[in-house]
Amino acid sequence: MDVTVERHGEIAVVLVSGSIDANTAPDLATALSGQIQQGSTRLVADFSAVAYTSSAGLRALLGTLKEARLHGGDFRLAAVRPGVFRVLELSGFTSILKYFPDVQGAVESFAG
Amino acid sequence: MTEATRRTGRPGVALVIGAGAIKCAAAIGVSKVLEDAGIGVDLLVGCSGGSMFAALLALGYDAATCEKLTLQMWTAEVTRRHDRKAMLRALMPKLFGFNASWGMIDDTLITDRFRKVYGDRTFADTKIPFHVVAADFENGEKVVLSEGKLADAIRASIAIPFVFKPWRVGGRLLIDGSLADPMPVDVAIRENASVILAIGFDNPYQRRINSPVRFAFQVTTVMTNNLLRANYAFHNLAYHSELILILPEFEGRVNAFDTGRLPHIIERGARAMEEQLPYVKQILAAAA
Repeated sequence: MDVTVERHGEIAVVLVSGSIDANTAPDLATALSGQIQQGSTRLVADFSAVAYTSSAGLRALLGTLKEARLHGGDFRLAAVRPGVFRVLELSGFTSILKYFPDVQGAVESFAG
Repeated sequence: MTEATRRTGRPGVALVIGAGAIKCAAAIGVSKVLEDAGIGVDLLVGCSGGSMFAALLALGYDAATCEKLTLQMWTAEVTRRHDRKAMLRALMPKLFGFNASWGMIDDTLITDRFRKVYGDRTFADTKIPFHVVAADFENGEKVVLSEGKLADAIRASIAIPFVFKPWRVGGRLLIDGSLADPMPVDVAIRENASVILAIGFDNPYQRRINSPVRFAFQVTTVMTNNLLRANYAFHNLAYHSELILILPEFEGRVNAFDTGRLPHIIERGARAMEEQLPYVKQILAAAA
Protein backbone atom coordinates (compact mmCIF):
# COMPACT_ATOMS: atom_id res chain seq x y z
CA MET A 1 0.00 0.00 0.00
CA ASP A 2 1.20 3.49 -0.85
CA VAL A 3 0.03 6.82 0.54
CA THR A 4 0.72 10.20 -1.06
CA VAL A 5 -0.68 13.56 0.02
CA GLU A 6 -1.65 16.52 -2.16
CA ARG A 7 -2.90 19.90 -1.00
CA HIS A 8 -6.06 21.37 -2.45
CA GLY A 9 -6.13 24.65 -0.55
CA GLU A 10 -6.97 23.77 3.04
CA ILE A 11 -7.95 20.26 2.11
CA ALA A 12 -5.47 17.38 2.29
CA VAL A 13 -6.16 14.82 -0.39
CA VAL A 14 -4.64 11.48 0.48
CA LEU A 15 -4.20 9.12 -2.45
CA VAL A 16 -4.20 5.55 -1.19
CA SER A 17 -3.26 2.66 -3.44
CA GLY A 18 -3.18 -1.10 -2.89
CA SER A 19 -4.92 -3.09 -0.18
CA ILE A 20 -5.71 -1.87 3.31
CA ASP A 21 -5.37 -4.81 5.64
CA ALA A 22 -3.85 -5.81 8.97
CA ASN A 23 -0.34 -5.34 7.57
CA THR A 24 -0.90 -1.94 5.99
CA ALA A 25 -3.69 -0.35 8.06
CA PRO A 26 -1.33 0.92 10.81
CA ASP A 27 0.70 2.82 8.19
CA LEU A 28 -2.43 4.37 6.76
CA ALA A 29 -3.73 5.29 10.21
CA THR A 30 -0.38 6.89 11.06
CA ALA A 31 -0.29 8.86 7.79
CA LEU A 32 -3.83 10.14 8.20
CA SER A 33 -3.39 10.93 11.87
CA GLY A 34 -0.17 12.77 11.02
CA GLN A 35 -2.09 15.05 8.68
CA ILE A 36 -4.64 15.82 11.39
CA GLN A 37 -1.93 16.47 13.97
CA GLN A 38 -0.30 18.93 11.54
CA GLY A 39 -3.57 20.85 11.38
CA SER A 40 -5.08 19.32 8.23
CA THR A 41 -8.34 18.29 9.80
CA ARG A 42 -10.22 18.35 6.48
CA LEU A 43 -9.22 15.18 4.72
CA VAL A 44 -10.26 13.46 1.53
CA ALA A 45 -9.08 9.93 0.85
CA ASP A 46 -8.90 9.18 -2.85
CA PHE A 47 -9.81 5.49 -2.97
CA SER A 48 -9.69 5.08 -6.73
CA ALA A 49 -6.62 2.85 -6.41
CA VAL A 50 -7.72 0.88 -3.32
CA ALA A 51 -8.37 -2.71 -4.30
CA TYR A 52 -9.55 -4.07 -0.97
CA THR A 53 -10.08 -3.23 2.66
CA SER A 54 -10.34 -5.74 5.48
CA SER A 55 -11.73 -5.24 8.98
CA ALA A 56 -8.39 -3.82 10.11
CA GLY A 57 -8.59 -1.24 7.32
CA LEU A 58 -12.11 -0.29 8.35
CA ARG A 59 -10.98 0.26 11.92
CA ALA A 60 -8.24 2.59 10.65
CA LEU A 61 -10.82 4.58 8.67
CA LEU A 62 -13.10 4.83 11.68
CA GLY A 63 -10.23 6.03 13.88
CA THR A 64 -9.40 8.72 11.34
CA LEU A 65 -13.03 9.79 11.07
CA LYS A 66 -13.30 10.16 14.85
CA GLU A 67 -10.02 12.02 15.15
CA ALA A 68 -10.79 14.44 12.30
CA ARG A 69 -14.19 15.28 13.72
CA LEU A 70 -12.79 15.61 17.23
CA HIS A 71 -10.52 18.32 15.85
CA GLY A 72 -13.37 20.12 14.14
CA GLY A 73 -12.80 18.71 10.65
CA ASP A 74 -14.03 15.74 8.66
CA PHE A 75 -12.78 12.74 6.73
CA ARG A 76 -14.44 12.03 3.38
CA LEU A 77 -13.97 9.40 0.73
CA ALA A 78 -13.80 9.77 -3.03
CA ALA A 79 -13.87 7.44 -6.03
CA VAL A 80 -14.46 4.24 -4.09
CA ARG A 81 -14.37 1.14 -6.30
CA PRO A 82 -17.50 -1.04 -6.36
CA GLY A 83 -15.91 -3.99 -4.52
CA VAL A 84 -14.61 -1.78 -1.72
CA PHE A 85 -17.89 0.12 -1.65
CA ARG A 86 -19.75 -3.15 -0.96
CA VAL A 87 -17.56 -3.77 2.08
CA LEU A 88 -18.07 -0.19 3.29
CA GLU A 89 -21.80 -0.44 2.76
CA LEU A 90 -22.14 -3.80 4.50
CA SER A 91 -20.16 -2.59 7.48
CA GLY A 92 -22.25 0.55 7.90
CA PHE A 93 -19.55 3.04 6.89
CA THR A 94 -21.57 4.55 4.07
CA SER A 95 -24.10 5.74 6.62
CA ILE A 96 -21.61 7.45 8.94
CA LEU A 97 -19.19 9.12 6.54
CA LYS A 98 -19.61 11.14 3.38
CA TYR A 99 -18.42 9.76 0.07
CA PHE A 100 -18.28 11.23 -3.42
CA PRO A 101 -17.85 9.90 -6.96
CA ASP A 102 -14.62 11.84 -7.46
CA VAL A 103 -11.98 13.85 -5.62
CA GLN A 104 -13.18 17.18 -6.99
CA GLY A 105 -16.67 16.60 -5.59
CA ALA A 106 -15.27 15.60 -2.23
CA VAL A 107 -12.99 18.65 -2.06
CA GLU A 108 -15.79 20.99 -3.12
CA SER A 109 -18.12 19.50 -0.51
CA PHE A 110 -16.06 21.18 2.21
CA ALA A 111 -16.99 24.58 0.78
CA GLY A 112 -20.67 24.05 1.50
CA MET B 1 -7.32 -30.18 13.35
CA THR B 2 -4.87 -28.01 11.46
CA GLU B 3 -1.31 -27.29 12.53
CA ALA B 4 -2.30 -23.75 13.58
CA THR B 5 -4.95 -25.08 15.96
CA ARG B 6 -2.60 -27.73 17.37
CA ARG B 7 0.06 -25.13 18.05
CA THR B 8 -2.04 -22.29 19.44
CA GLY B 9 -5.02 -24.10 20.88
CA ARG B 10 -7.34 -21.75 18.99
CA PRO B 11 -8.98 -22.20 15.59
CA GLY B 12 -6.76 -20.84 12.83
CA VAL B 13 -9.24 -20.27 10.03
CA ALA B 14 -13.00 -20.11 10.53
CA LEU B 15 -15.39 -20.16 7.60
CA VAL B 16 -18.76 -18.54 8.25
CA ILE B 17 -21.42 -19.20 5.64
CA GLY B 18 -24.30 -16.78 5.97
CA ALA B 19 -27.90 -17.10 4.82
CA GLY B 20 -28.58 -17.05 1.10
CA ALA B 21 -30.29 -20.25 -0.07
CA ILE B 22 -28.57 -21.69 -3.17
CA LYS B 23 -26.09 -18.80 -3.29
CA CYS B 24 -24.46 -20.35 -0.23
CA ALA B 25 -23.15 -23.07 -2.56
CA ALA B 26 -20.43 -20.52 -3.38
CA ALA B 27 -18.84 -21.90 -0.20
CA ILE B 28 -18.03 -25.09 -2.12
CA GLY B 29 -15.84 -23.03 -4.46
CA VAL B 30 -14.32 -21.13 -1.55
CA SER B 31 -13.47 -24.39 0.22
CA LYS B 32 -11.92 -25.87 -2.93
CA VAL B 33 -9.61 -22.88 -3.39
CA LEU B 34 -8.53 -23.06 0.26
CA GLU B 35 -7.92 -26.79 -0.01
CA ASP B 36 -5.87 -26.41 -3.21
CA ALA B 37 -3.81 -23.74 -1.44
CA GLY B 38 -3.19 -26.08 1.48
CA ILE B 39 -5.16 -23.92 3.90
CA GLY B 40 -7.22 -25.96 6.33
CA VAL B 41 -10.46 -24.76 7.87
CA ASP B 42 -10.63 -25.28 11.63
CA LEU B 43 -14.17 -24.14 12.29
CA LEU B 44 -17.39 -23.92 10.28
CA VAL B 45 -20.46 -21.85 11.07
CA GLY B 46 -23.64 -21.91 9.02
CA CYS B 47 -26.89 -20.01 9.04
CA SER B 48 -30.03 -20.89 7.11
CA GLY B 49 -28.99 -22.04 3.60
CA GLY B 50 -25.39 -21.70 4.73
CA SER B 51 -25.91 -24.44 7.29
CA MET B 52 -26.56 -27.02 4.55
CA PHE B 53 -23.19 -26.36 2.94
CA ALA B 54 -21.26 -25.84 6.16
CA ALA B 55 -22.49 -29.28 7.27
CA LEU B 56 -21.36 -30.93 4.03
CA LEU B 57 -17.91 -29.35 4.35
CA ALA B 58 -17.73 -30.23 8.05
CA LEU B 59 -18.45 -33.84 7.17
CA GLY B 60 -15.45 -33.78 4.85
CA TYR B 61 -17.14 -34.17 1.47
CA ASP B 62 -15.17 -33.04 -1.57
CA ALA B 63 -16.51 -30.38 -3.95
CA ALA B 64 -17.97 -32.84 -6.45
CA THR B 65 -19.85 -34.73 -3.74
CA CYS B 66 -21.11 -31.48 -2.19
CA GLU B 67 -22.48 -30.48 -5.58
CA LYS B 68 -24.16 -33.85 -6.07
CA LEU B 69 -25.72 -33.81 -2.59
CA THR B 70 -26.95 -30.24 -3.09
CA LEU B 71 -28.90 -31.41 -6.12
CA GLN B 72 -30.42 -34.17 -3.99
CA MET B 73 -31.58 -31.69 -1.34
CA TRP B 74 -32.29 -28.22 -2.58
CA THR B 75 -34.51 -28.15 -5.65
CA ALA B 76 -37.70 -26.24 -6.36
CA GLU B 77 -39.77 -29.41 -5.76
CA VAL B 78 -39.43 -28.92 -2.02
CA THR B 79 -41.70 -25.87 -2.22
CA ARG B 80 -44.22 -27.15 -4.76
CA ARG B 81 -46.69 -28.81 -2.39
CA HIS B 82 -48.73 -26.44 -0.27
CA ASP B 83 -49.82 -27.52 3.17
CA ARG B 84 -53.61 -27.41 2.75
CA LYS B 85 -54.31 -27.66 6.46
CA ALA B 86 -51.96 -24.74 7.08
CA MET B 87 -53.79 -22.68 4.48
CA LEU B 88 -57.11 -23.44 6.17
CA ARG B 89 -55.61 -22.53 9.53
CA ALA B 90 -54.52 -19.19 8.10
CA LEU B 91 -57.94 -18.48 6.59
CA MET B 92 -59.97 -19.64 9.59
CA PRO B 93 -57.60 -19.67 12.55
CA LYS B 94 -60.15 -20.28 15.29
CA LEU B 95 -61.97 -23.03 13.45
CA PHE B 96 -58.86 -24.96 12.38
CA GLY B 97 -56.62 -24.08 15.30
CA PHE B 98 -53.77 -21.82 14.18
CA ASN B 99 -50.53 -22.15 16.16
CA ALA B 100 -46.85 -21.17 16.02
CA SER B 101 -45.89 -24.29 14.12
CA TRP B 102 -47.08 -22.87 10.80
CA GLY B 103 -45.76 -22.70 7.25
CA MET B 104 -47.46 -22.54 3.85
CA ILE B 105 -45.45 -25.35 2.33
CA ASP B 106 -45.67 -29.02 3.17
CA ASP B 107 -42.23 -29.66 4.65
CA THR B 108 -42.31 -33.45 4.30
CA LEU B 109 -40.05 -33.52 1.23
CA ILE B 110 -37.35 -31.12 2.48
CA THR B 111 -37.27 -32.83 5.87
CA ASP B 112 -36.99 -36.27 4.24
CA ARG B 113 -34.20 -35.06 1.97
CA PHE B 114 -32.21 -33.70 4.89
CA ARG B 115 -32.63 -37.00 6.70
CA LYS B 116 -31.49 -38.86 3.61
CA VAL B 117 -28.37 -36.77 3.07
CA TYR B 118 -27.31 -36.24 6.70
CA GLY B 119 -28.82 -39.45 8.08
CA ASP B 120 -28.55 -39.84 11.83
CA ARG B 121 -25.18 -38.14 11.95
CA THR B 122 -24.62 -35.67 14.73
CA PHE B 123 -22.29 -32.73 15.33
CA ALA B 124 -19.96 -35.21 17.01
CA ASP B 125 -19.52 -36.98 13.64
CA THR B 126 -18.14 -33.96 11.78
CA LYS B 127 -14.47 -33.79 10.90
CA ILE B 128 -14.35 -30.05 11.48
CA PRO B 129 -16.03 -28.37 14.48
CA PHE B 130 -19.32 -26.97 13.26
CA HIS B 131 -22.11 -24.74 14.58
CA VAL B 132 -25.53 -23.89 13.20
CA VAL B 133 -27.43 -20.70 13.98
CA ALA B 134 -31.21 -20.57 14.34
CA ALA B 135 -33.63 -18.22 16.10
CA ASP B 136 -35.92 -19.01 19.01
CA PHE B 137 -39.38 -18.28 17.65
CA GLU B 138 -40.80 -17.56 21.09
CA ASN B 139 -38.36 -14.88 22.21
CA GLY B 140 -36.16 -14.06 19.18
CA GLU B 141 -32.95 -15.21 20.83
CA LYS B 142 -30.13 -16.40 18.66
CA VAL B 143 -29.59 -20.11 19.25
CA VAL B 144 -26.27 -21.74 18.41
CA LEU B 145 -26.70 -25.46 17.85
CA SER B 146 -23.55 -27.50 18.38
CA GLU B 147 -24.87 -30.90 19.34
CA GLY B 148 -27.58 -33.30 18.32
CA LYS B 149 -28.62 -34.44 14.86
CA LEU B 150 -27.36 -32.39 11.92
CA ALA B 151 -30.61 -32.88 10.00
CA ASP B 152 -32.65 -31.33 12.82
CA ALA B 153 -30.31 -28.38 13.26
CA ILE B 154 -30.28 -27.62 9.54
CA ARG B 155 -34.04 -28.05 9.24
CA ALA B 156 -34.48 -25.53 12.08
CA SER B 157 -32.01 -23.07 10.56
CA ILE B 158 -33.80 -23.08 7.17
CA ALA B 159 -37.32 -22.72 8.59
CA ILE B 160 -37.95 -19.84 6.19
CA PRO B 161 -40.70 -17.62 7.63
CA PHE B 162 -44.11 -18.30 6.06
CA VAL B 163 -42.64 -21.11 3.92
CA PHE B 164 -41.51 -23.90 6.25
CA LYS B 165 -42.91 -24.27 9.74
CA PRO B 166 -40.55 -23.67 12.66
CA TRP B 167 -38.78 -26.80 13.93
CA ARG B 168 -38.53 -28.00 17.49
CA VAL B 169 -35.03 -28.83 18.78
CA GLY B 170 -34.33 -29.56 22.42
CA GLY B 171 -37.68 -28.21 23.57
CA ARG B 172 -37.29 -24.88 21.72
CA LEU B 173 -39.30 -23.94 18.67
CA LEU B 174 -36.71 -22.63 16.20
CA ILE B 175 -37.04 -20.59 13.03
CA ASP B 176 -34.69 -19.46 10.26
CA GLY B 177 -31.38 -18.27 11.67
CA SER B 178 -31.38 -15.25 9.36
CA LEU B 179 -34.00 -13.67 11.63
CA ALA B 180 -31.42 -13.57 14.42
CA ASP B 181 -28.12 -13.14 12.58
CA PRO B 182 -27.84 -13.67 8.80
CA MET B 183 -24.03 -13.89 8.89
CA PRO B 184 -23.08 -15.07 12.38
CA VAL B 185 -19.41 -14.13 12.54
CA ASP B 186 -19.80 -13.68 16.29
CA VAL B 187 -19.82 -17.46 16.74
CA ALA B 188 -16.34 -17.59 15.20
CA ILE B 189 -15.26 -14.61 17.32
CA ARG B 190 -16.55 -16.39 20.43
CA GLU B 191 -14.50 -19.46 19.48
CA ASN B 192 -11.46 -17.16 19.23
CA ALA B 193 -10.62 -17.87 15.59
CA SER B 194 -7.47 -16.16 14.33
CA VAL B 195 -8.82 -15.43 10.86
CA ILE B 196 -12.48 -15.36 9.94
CA LEU B 197 -13.60 -15.75 6.35
CA ALA B 198 -17.22 -14.71 6.06
CA ILE B 199 -19.44 -15.36 3.06
CA GLY B 200 -22.54 -13.19 3.09
CA PHE B 201 -25.40 -12.40 0.76
CA ASP B 202 -28.17 -9.90 0.51
CA ASN B 203 -31.58 -11.47 0.25
CA PRO B 204 -33.03 -10.49 -3.17
CA TYR B 205 -35.97 -8.10 -3.06
CA GLN B 206 -39.24 -9.01 -4.76
CA ARG B 207 -39.49 -7.80 -8.35
CA ARG B 208 -43.21 -7.16 -7.98
CA ILE B 209 -45.27 -7.06 -4.84
CA ASN B 210 -48.55 -8.31 -6.20
CA SER B 211 -49.73 -10.67 -3.48
CA PRO B 212 -49.86 -10.82 0.32
CA VAL B 213 -47.23 -13.55 0.23
CA ARG B 214 -44.80 -11.42 -1.75
CA PHE B 215 -45.57 -8.53 0.57
CA ALA B 216 -44.68 -10.70 3.57
CA PHE B 217 -41.46 -11.88 1.88
CA GLN B 218 -40.51 -8.30 1.13
CA VAL B 219 -40.97 -7.31 4.77
CA THR B 220 -38.75 -10.19 5.89
CA THR B 221 -36.14 -9.30 3.26
CA VAL B 222 -36.00 -5.65 4.30
CA MET B 223 -35.50 -6.67 7.92
CA THR B 224 -32.93 -9.41 7.38
CA ASN B 225 -30.84 -7.33 4.96
CA ASN B 226 -30.71 -4.49 7.46
CA LEU B 227 -29.95 -6.95 10.25
CA LEU B 228 -27.05 -8.31 8.19
CA ARG B 229 -25.53 -4.83 7.97
CA ALA B 230 -26.17 -3.89 11.58
CA ASN B 231 -24.68 -7.09 12.98
CA TYR B 232 -21.73 -7.09 10.63
CA ALA B 233 -20.96 -3.43 11.38
CA PHE B 234 -20.79 -4.17 15.09
CA HIS B 235 -18.84 -7.42 14.84
CA ASN B 236 -16.40 -5.95 12.35
CA LEU B 237 -15.41 -3.25 14.80
CA ALA B 238 -15.57 -5.46 17.88
CA TYR B 239 -13.26 -8.12 16.47
CA HIS B 240 -9.59 -7.66 17.27
CA SER B 241 -8.26 -9.96 14.58
CA GLU B 242 -8.92 -10.28 10.85
CA LEU B 243 -12.38 -10.60 9.42
CA ILE B 244 -12.28 -11.06 5.67
CA LEU B 245 -15.44 -10.76 3.64
CA ILE B 246 -15.88 -13.07 0.69
CA LEU B 247 -18.53 -11.52 -1.54
CA PRO B 248 -19.12 -13.52 -4.72
CA GLU B 249 -20.44 -11.54 -7.68
CA PHE B 250 -23.04 -13.44 -9.69
CA GLU B 251 -24.19 -12.77 -13.22
CA GLY B 252 -27.80 -11.72 -13.02
CA ARG B 253 -30.25 -12.48 -10.27
CA VAL B 254 -29.91 -15.79 -8.44
CA ASN B 255 -33.17 -17.03 -7.01
CA ALA B 256 -33.47 -19.27 -3.96
CA PHE B 257 -33.78 -22.51 -5.92
CA ASP B 258 -31.68 -21.75 -9.02
CA THR B 259 -30.02 -25.13 -8.71
CA GLY B 260 -29.36 -25.12 -12.46
CA ARG B 261 -26.86 -22.33 -11.85
CA LEU B 262 -24.89 -24.33 -9.32
CA PRO B 263 -21.68 -24.51 -11.42
CA HIS B 264 -21.77 -20.73 -11.91
CA ILE B 265 -22.37 -20.12 -8.20
CA ILE B 266 -19.50 -22.41 -7.18
CA GLU B 267 -17.17 -20.84 -9.77
CA ARG B 268 -17.97 -17.34 -8.50
CA GLY B 269 -17.32 -18.47 -4.94
CA ALA B 270 -13.93 -19.79 -6.04
CA ARG B 271 -13.16 -16.57 -7.87
CA ALA B 272 -14.05 -14.41 -4.85
CA MET B 273 -11.82 -16.57 -2.64
CA GLU B 274 -8.95 -16.45 -5.13
CA GLU B 275 -9.04 -12.66 -4.97
CA GLN B 276 -8.44 -12.77 -1.21
CA LEU B 277 -6.06 -15.72 -1.22
CA PRO B 278 -2.74 -13.84 -1.38
CA TYR B 279 -3.75 -11.79 1.64
CA VAL B 280 -5.03 -14.81 3.60
CA LYS B 281 -1.73 -16.58 2.91
CA GLN B 282 0.16 -13.50 4.04
CA ILE B 283 -1.61 -13.15 7.38
CA LEU B 284 -1.42 -16.87 8.07
CA ALA B 285 2.31 -16.78 7.37
CA ALA B 286 2.70 -13.77 9.68
CA ALA B 287 0.83 -15.61 12.43
CA ALA B 288 2.95 -18.77 12.04
